[in-house]
Amino acid sequence: MSSRRSRSRQSGSSRITEEQISDLVSKLQDLLPEARLQSNARVPSARVLQETCNYIRSLHREVDDLSERLSELLATSDMSSAQEAIIRSLLM
Amino acid sequence: MASTSGSTTAVEEREIERKRKRSAAGGESAAASVSKWRTRREHEIYSSKLLEALRLVRAGSSPSSPSSFSVNAAAAPPRSRAVREAADRALAVAARGRTCWSRAILANRRRRLQAARRARLRNPATPPSRHAPVPAAGGASAQGDGGKTPPLARKAKVLGRLVPGCRKLPFPALLAEASDYIAALEMQVRAMTALAEALSAVSSSSSSSAAGGSSSPPA
Repeated sequence: MSSRRSRSRQSGSSRITEEQISDLVSKLQDLLPEARLQSNARVPSARVLQETCNYIRSLHREVDDLSERLSELLATSDMSSAQEAIIRSLLM
Repeated sequence: MASTSGSTTAVEEREIERKRKRSAAGGESAAASVSKWRTRREHEIYSSKLLEALRLVRAGSSPSSPSSFSVNAAAAPPRSRAVREAADRALAVAARGRTCWSRAILANRRRRLQAARRARLRNPATPPSRHAPVPAAGGASAQGDGGKTPPLARKAKVLGRLVPGCRKLPFPALLAEASDYIAALEMQVRAMTALAEALSAVSSSSSSSAAGGSSSPPA
């Protein structure tokens, strides 16, 4: 452990350690919706990356659906009602 | 203060301090930014920006008139993409330029506009953060990923394609960008859902009371 520490300190920030990566992977894992089931065990990073890709894709799809819905709604409403809608959603 | 527990916490503290000093991949800033996207304030900021963007979209497309209903129907598919792009742009602006994907969204958009105005010179490419092209791994440096096996490198490349503008980042930076991007996307989904709900509620109530939305907005 001490050798790794000295090595990383010598080469500055170019040497990226495993613990940094695993730390980021665990943070990513916490963001995923299935983290509640898997937060106990250490999931292999490949699985976490796969779940991350799937989750990002599903989020993109949701945003596309929502933007379609919003475009339809915008076509049939005017600006004042949109402002009213936003203010109402913010107050809720 | 027991000796063993004291020494363990001292070691832990030293490790945490080390990580904080280094923070090459921005590990601790990732946690801060992730929680940032969950606050109400960011939600409000994003909602107001979204409203502005949507207003521009409405002004850009044909003004809604009951006579040109077929024209509106034909313009609906490109309009959803305009809405999506406006929402993404608002999200990128809300990031305040701290993250790579937000800069990439804004840079891509500006580049696409310029390319559409002039003749198409070249493809709208990745943002100007160019590292040396690596054949196999997604990392910029050979030793920068800490011994990634090939399947992990493949997934990292897929992830780099999904997050805009992060195709050639080293692995830890890619993870940090991805976590921030996911939190931002979640906020975007929440804000757009709330907006759609509120709009549908308002429009349904207004259509039931009077003729649907024919009141012309003041110029």
